Amino acid sequence: MKVLRFISAALCDSSWRRTYARLCVGLFFYLFFAGLIIPQRAGAQETPYFVTYSHHLEEPGNLEIELSTNYATQTGGNDFIAPWVEFEYGVKAWWTSEFYLDSQGTFGDSALFTGFRWENRFRPLMREHWINPVLYVEYENTNGADKTMIEVVGFDTQADHAIRNAIASKDHQHELETKLILSSDYKGWNISENFIAEKNLGHDPWEFGYAAGASRPLRLAAAPEVCNLCLENFLVGAEFYGGLGASWNLSMSGTSHYAAQIVAWELPNGVSFRVSPGFGLNSNSHTFLLRWGVSYEIEGFGRKVRSWFR
Amino acid sequence: MNRQTLSKFLLVCSIAFGMAVLGSEASPNPNGSHEHETDDRGVLQAIAQAPAKTREWKNPYEDQPDAVLAGKKLFMQHCAECHGAHARGIGRALNLHLPYVQRATPGELEWFLRNGNVWAGMPSWSGLPEQRRWQIVSYLKSLH
Repeated sequence: MKVLRFISAALCDSSWRRTYARLCVGLFFYLFFAGLIIPQRAGAQETPYFVTYSHHLEEPGNLEIELSTNYATQTGGNDFIAPWVEFEYGVKAWWTSEFYLDSQGTFGDSALFTGFRWENRFRPLMREHWINPVLYVEYENTNGADKTMIEVVGFDTQADHAIRNAIASKDHQHELETKLILSSDYKGWNISENFIAEKNLGHDPWEFGYAAGASRPLRLAAAPEVCNLCLENFLVGAEFYGGLGASWNLSMSGTSHYAAQIVAWELPNGVSFRVSPGFGLNSNSHTFLLRWGVSYEIEGFGRKVRSWFR
Repeated sequence: MNRQTLSKFLLVCSIAFGMAVLGSEASPNPNGSHEHETDDRGVLQAIAQAPAKTREWKNPYEDQPDAVLAGKKLFMQHCAECHGAHARGIGRALNLHLPYVQRATPGELEWFLRNGNVWAGMPSWSGLPEQRRWQIVSYLKSLH
């Protein structure tokens, strides 16, 4: 019933109609480009995490388009759904660039576009090692109503998301976020740890956070035939993430922490689905999170774009 | 940093990124219609950098026809975009039928798949489980 009320409210709310219109236009272009250039075969080596990053970068020339959503229960306010779109491009084998568009809709409140992010990941070591570092730099231009929760830093708590959108959206955030990504592959497992440092460019001290995850395909060897429902196409894992306080007070208390399970299904044609139920680990955290996402891997996108200019 | 400066910064970054996309290495045709032979000595040197112990590594799927089929499937999913559907190489991507590729031991090829030649554009395939890399090696060795 709650969902139905949300949908009905959405249809009555003009800001929702605008959001849906934008989504439809986006989806149209998405399908248009996908229909034009997506190959019949595609394959990436993705890890299924929503928050944690591994050292596996996008293959050079490939573009991945992903639509993801974060649903969260809210104490002292209304539950919300925060969708975001990602465009991830492999510029080089050692450099991946990613652009995000964030939005959110809060039950009984409003829906709005909350900003954009542009991240770059660089692999400094050219060989595989026991632990593989990747350097991450991101610029964020979002507002205070952003609820995608792609990372948790500083003293982020669920109370931050209880503020009404009209008020929260007035707080503009220009932030620089850096991460040290450490990642290992061992016997089919990927184990990744991220250390996050975020700075509001206008004010505020550095804030810190962490994310760690482990994942594995259900079957390590591939079957001889092409199949969609083979165990090799499913990945399972878990991730943990939370805040570590700020430069004036490094602490794991007074902030939020989460644990989430993840299941991913990667189809041989480059489409993949992910779902991740998550749970808050203390009273500062949202009790329940549900993330889901669908992505398309477009091989040779860069080559196709270059061919338009020849 | 005020908004105007920030906008200019983002504009410059976007242009630089666009140029990087347009100027990045030529990728090959996925259907293999323009395949041609290449002789990339850089890749030869990269394979030669495999540690000596890798030459002793045995392919656990050696002489298993199913592994060749699975390897071919994985090759089509992950490698054919650059190396062509017939593995004859396109542009800077290596022709995998060349003698010095076929002379490489299975262990050297698995090591090379795991590490890639990242600076030269060949990604590391360490994200694939080791078993799948060996299956790809089985397919590559079946090409000669």
